[in-house]
Amino acid sequence: MKLALNFVQVALLLLTAPLLRGIVAKLKARIQRRKGSPVWRPYAEIWKLLRKEQLLPRDASGIFQLGPIVAFVTTLLAAAFVPVFQNTALFGGAGDIFIFVYLFALGRFFVSLTALDPGSSFGGMGASREALVAALSEAPLLLALTALAILAKTSSIAEITAWTVGQNFFDVSAVHALALAAVAIVAVAETGRLPVDNPTTHLELTMIHEAMVLECSGPSLAFIEWSQALKLNIVAALIMALFLPWGIATRLTPAALALGLAWFVSKIGFMALLLAFVESSVAKLRMYAVPNFLQVASALAILAVIFTAVMKR
Amino acid sequence: MGILDVAALKILSSAAVLLFTTALLMAGAKRISTCVYLFAFQSAVLTAQVFATAFVQHSPEAYAVGAMVLLVKVLGIPYALLWLMRRLRTPHDVGTTVGTGNSVFIMAGLILLSFSAVRLYLQDFLAVEVALSAAVALILSGAFLMVTRSKALMQVLGLLVLENGIFLAALVTTFGMPFIIEIGIVFDLVIGILLMGVFAFRIRDTFEHLDVSRLRRLRG
Repeated sequence: MKLALNFVQVALLLLTAPLLRGIVAKLKARIQRRKGSPVWRPYAEIWKLLRKEQLLPRDASGIFQLGPIVAFVTTLLAAAFVPVFQNTALFGGAGDIFIFVYLFALGRFFVSLTALDPGSSFGGMGASREALVAALSEAPLLLALTALAILAKTSSIAEITAWTVGQNFFDVSAVHALALAAVAIVAVAETGRLPVDNPTTHLELTMIHEAMVLECSGPSLAFIEWSQALKLNIVAALIMALFLPWGIATRLTPAALALGLAWFVSKIGFMALLLAFVESSVAKLRMYAVPNFLQVASALAILAVIFTAVMKR
Repeated sequence: MGILDVAALKILSSAAVLLFTTALLMAGAKRISTCVYLFAFQSAVLTAQVFATAFVQHSPEAYAVGAMVLLVKVLGIPYALLWLMRRLRTPHDVGTTVGTGNSVFIMAGLILLSFSAVRLYLQDFLAVEVALSAAVALILSGAFLMVTRSKALMQVLGLLVLENGIFLAALVTTFGMPFIIEIGIVFDLVIGILLMGVFAFRIRDTFEHLDVSRLRRLRG
């Protein structure tokens, strides 16, 4: 029963990923007074790409075809570590916060290799920018997760969630506020959303992620797009599981599970609205200002870790 | 003990966290208007703390102080500062002499410093310790903003943050000063803002900018 539910959680994250992307795009369009494309469009896009022929650049090697698949698989594996509507996850155990962070890093590494492989200048530029953002956002994410792990006295995401659910909502500590701020900044960088990277642009001077996938087509592009959408879903679920888990199902009764699912849907809907609002109101940062932005996340995360010692909780 | 009592007690300790966050965000902010909104939010948190104290202590005076803080610091002063900014028509950046990323690091250090300083004197229970160190952190951060931001309006804001810190310190150590003194302080603040507003107009008219780091030559 529990195992089946855990599989359902991963499947839910995987299958609703394009929908979340569509909803965010729709909300953004509505905020900007446009009509917007239907929320199901990302599904149609992925389906279309999956049926298309794969075109290979002249100088591409096997890495080019392998990269998107590895990126998809690592992201899917990362999804299995996050509790969604009930407080366990498919994989879990001591130390899985580190595996989680480095699964993301591995995925990014292979996408960068895919971009470098055909030898186009755009791919190289995108890969180098992606590497910069990845290197700077990895430390704050890891530190923020470590701070929470110290508080909960366990280094497994699901167990941290289970611990947080037991806490009083009014009892938020400084550590949680600081870690949330750090993770929120990192989440923006990690999923390639607006102040760091614009997911809709194709202007060569500003793009990071889109520059890397320019050479991809057909199924490879579908895998990369889907894993990117899945990443947004995972990060949203992670933030909810770590900082706002109240409402998640702690018992395996149908009523509790239904309530947990309803809470999950309403919370993720709220986050989509927030994301759409933020993306409509901020301008993209200059590439040279991105390290500064992530430096703030690092400061917050370091402070969070130090506070775990100061607050003696 | 009703749910309201629990909430009131928790607000006193938990709100301190929000104060740290506003201090950090102010250090990271790039525009003056962002800082003004953050200051309004910070004052709103303070107001919640005053009302929570009033509820716990059952003192009608404290409610009056809370209403005054709400009126002056959450609504009045931010509105006046934003109006001043619109009228002055000068660039809206805060004029950093230390980069924003580094400012956040330094601010984090100041918060830790305030924690370790307060810890020497109070080791009994957590709620007051967090609130008192938040007060010290606000005082330090106000001073830090005044020293490192070169725009005249930011120095006003730094002073206001500093005053918020002193107010919070008074609130958590003695559960609020006497009402008449509180009125005096708020009146002082309003007059101060008024004078500095006039002064900002004079600086702008004489020098065509508000950057105090460039006020080196005498102009008549």
